[in-house]
Amino acid sequence: MRDVPQLRADVLVIGGGATGAGVAWDAALRGFDVVLVERGDLAEGTSGRFHGLLHSGGRYVVKDPLAAEECVVENAILRDVIPDCIEDTGGLFVATPDDDPAYGDRFLEGCRAAKLPAEEIDVGEALEREPRLNPGIRRAFTVPDASIDAWKTVWSFARGAASHGARILTYHRVIDLHRTGDAVTGVRVRNELTGEDSDIEAGFVLNASGAWAAQILHMAGIEDVGVVPGKGIMIAMNHRLVNTVINRCTMPDDGDILVPIRTVSVIGTTDIRSADPDEIPVTQAEVDQMLDDGERLVPGFRDARALRVWAGVRPLFQDAKAGAVTDTRDVSRTHAVVDHRERDGVDGLLTMSGGKLTTLRLMAQDLVDSMCAQLGEERACRTREERPPGNEDGEPYRLGSRLRRREATLRDEPLICECELIGRRRLEEAMRRRGTASLDDIRRSLRLGMGPCQGGFCIYRATGILHAVDRLDADEAGASLQTFLQERWKGIWPILYGDQLRQACLDDWIFQGLLDVEHLPAAEAVAV
Amino acid sequence: MSHHDVVVVGTGLAGLAAAVRLAEAGARVLVLAKGIGATHLSGGTVDVLGYAPERVERPADALGAFLAARPGHPYNHVGGDGIRTALAWLEDRVANGSLAPYAYLGSLDENLLLPTAIGVPRPSAFVPATMAGGDLRRGGAGGDVVVVGFRALKDFHPALMADALGRSGIGVSARSVELDLVPEGRADVNALGFARAFDVPAFRGQVVAQVAARGLGAEDRVAFPAVLGIADPHGAWTGLEHGLGRRVFEVPTLPPSVPGMRLFAILREALRRAGGTVLLNNVVVGAEREGPRVSALRVRVGLREERRGADWVVLATGGFASGGLELDSRWAARETALGLPVTGVPAAGDERFRSGYFDDHPIARAGVAVDRELRPLDSAGDPVLENVLVAGATLAGAEPWKEKSGDGLSLSTGHRAAELVLAASTTAADPHAAAARI
Repeated sequence: MRDVPQLRADVLVIGGGATGAGVAWDAALRGFDVVLVERGDLAEGTSGRFHGLLHSGGRYVVKDPLAAEECVVENAILRDVIPDCIEDTGGLFVATPDDDPAYGDRFLEGCRAAKLPAEEIDVGEALEREPRLNPGIRRAFTVPDASIDAWKTVWSFARGAASHGARILTYHRVIDLHRTGDAVTGVRVRNELTGEDSDIEAGFVLNASGAWAAQILHMAGIEDVGVVPGKGIMIAMNHRLVNTVINRCTMPDDGDILVPIRTVSVIGTTDIRSADPDEIPVTQAEVDQMLDDGERLVPGFRDARALRVWAGVRPLFQDAKAGAVTDTRDVSRTHAVVDHRERDGVDGLLTMSGGKLTTLRLMAQDLVDSMCAQLGEERACRTREERPPGNEDGEPYRLGSRLRRREATLRDEPLICECELIGRRRLEEAMRRRGTASLDDIRRSLRLGMGPCQGGFCIYRATGILHAVDRLDADEAGASLQTFLQERWKGIWPILYGDQLRQACLDDWIFQGLLDVEHLPAAEAVAV
Repeated sequence: MSHHDVVVVGTGLAGLAAAVRLAEAGARVLVLAKGIGATHLSGGTVDVLGYAPERVERPADALGAFLAARPGHPYNHVGGDGIRTALAWLEDRVANGSLAPYAYLGSLDENLLLPTAIGVPRPSAFVPATMAGGDLRRGGAGGDVVVVGFRALKDFHPALMADALGRSGIGVSARSVELDLVPEGRADVNALGFARAFDVPAFRGQVVAQVAARGLGAEDRVAFPAVLGIADPHGAWTGLEHGLGRRVFEVPTLPPSVPGMRLFAILREALRRAGGTVLLNNVVVGAEREGPRVSALRVRVGLREERRGADWVVLATGGFASGGLELDSRWAARETALGLPVTGVPAAGDERFRSGYFDDHPIARAGVAVDRELRPLDSAGDPVLENVLVAGATLAGAEPWKEKSGDGLSLSTGHRAAELVLAASTTAADPHAAAARI
């Protein structure tokens, strides 16, 4: 076997989602030399596939008080350290005609216990604030929910880590864990773009791979920890049906959250046990159920335009010692550090289990604290006060901030994506900075093609610019375009009705009718 | 309530073809439309049949087997002769139209092979003369294709097109030139803005000077985005050909489509000259019936509702793309103007779309089924209305994007609808009385 290139680090973080990025940021701030490996793009897994809710904790006050308390604290910290990623929408818990109004009393009681500042308001006041809400609601409570941009969050922490020396390796899949005796000493990774393998030697390995954690542990010979992937589907609606996060005031159930984020609103979610975190297709029945749930919160929901549907997988852990799990929603949403020295007699390896995006900072702190304890080092956590790049001015994100920036350059450069207001310079800069040939990567970085036309107009333009900027040849650019169209299709076909079907037909007109992309030479190369 | 011999609903290619043909034959024609039709989206080429599913070189030869395998396809109601007649009719309308000598050329006998804006050779039967120079069937024929684009026109990327064309395996070498010429000093100008600039000789002069400065081979031909003039496209095109001393051709690109706008303008002006009327912002929302006939249309105009009487109705409101058909969130399909039966929509619970974007999707051929007289049919195959004819993308049975047949279908079925109305009317001495009787 030929030699493979070597890298060395104090700490190797597996997983480029919210947890992994948070861990890399935390460890880099404490002065560790960090390498983070991610099999795909940052936030391509669970983190980029959630509803965008920064929990106040209200959802958990009755059922999972510990999770609620964590949310209360972490919500406030994140507002302070990554303000640019968060919009202060506020939240409402409302009792719909189908909900028991008495639950509101238990809810308020739970909020008090968790020190969550909730307040009951007049139904009339709630309807005035959110006129599209179901007029039949019977009670309403305000809470400090907010919406949070997962991509921006993960990128903020990853950039912050990089600014402290961390190396962030995307498209690097872990294919083996190296063990020497009882200790994990590193990993072998495969570069998914080039096919090259390399070894990374590490003083410590932190497994932050969420729903994929069990797959990593199996490589270390640890077979009896399982992850129960809990599939949740979400649908992005064309505009802000509400400007406040709306929660049903009831025990957590399907389709009970509506989150206004950026220019859309997202309804979520379901919770269905799934066998494989990489096989989470959206079914027609799930979409139908979600639309019915939306109708309960906002009458006329079915007539609004759905933009895109996707599914994510929650990383809900199942320890063989803890017994069988039947309903994944009953698993606590708090997190826990799995200590493999204690549990399995394996040194140099810790796994983060469970958790949620709202508490990512605390999860990272707990994991790095545990590592420090095992290493016998005392290094204080600094993530409560340090702001990663892009958030220094402390200004919260406001809807319309992109438009304001954009208006300043309106006469200087072409607007490439009208839906998401992306100018040519910003697009070129992102392409150069990321050095990627994937339009889907660009989508996650800039929201390119995420608006109502789902790339109908901007993606041909972006393909032309990618060809010009990155000197991709036309075959590669064409392949990137076709891959984007296929990825996009996965997210739109289950919700193609009404105006979005009309939009999809217009997009067919452009791509198939006008450009004839299906006869690009690269067509055969695209995996479906 | 007004009364017309024929009310045409929709102002895309199908509706306009029907209206012009009828008005020129003496019928009193009113066109009602929600807005301007799909001409402004379409590339301006009239593709009859490009893929079946292999690339078609000679549509006239391929049609027989193609239709035999697809008994529900709307071309069956027109036939090869009907398509040929419609193409000849349109060729004549354009050649004698308001933008003459701007003209179309081509026929059912052979497809031209024109490059798309992303460099794919695309088969097309009947095209503006301004595009025909791009024909790739004989490869490069000695020279290069020089693709000219503009930095300020984000909807056309010359380097990508030239690179892809060179790799298309068709024996063409291509290179690109991007100019920084900006009409009105703006950074972001769409196709229509450039088309207006190309109407002005001084702007064309600047383009010629800058392209010539890059050096052209003696045998080269020069490709431009399809923005060469809107008021005087023939003048703009020939002006560039003379100025550069080379063949020049246009390449369709993203909407708004300048060639489509030209076609719309020519047909609308032809209709006006023949005495027909177009009313936009007139949304047909239903009909009054007398037995199996429509006697009047209910039309929403702003907040009012009006009635428009007609002996005949030609429905050409388009498919799902144009709002002629709608699918609701419970997957019920609806024809939006008259509530005609829609066929081809899989039942609830059945698969409507497949998971691959380029797959054959079960819903793709949905639409209104018609008999040979283009009259709408119910699910049992019986005509539901005697004096309503359906044309264009509302029709069931075709896959216009995959087949590259959209404009050919619209033109030929729109023209055919007019012929059917006229044939029925001329069976009596007084066409108006006949129309009323039939």
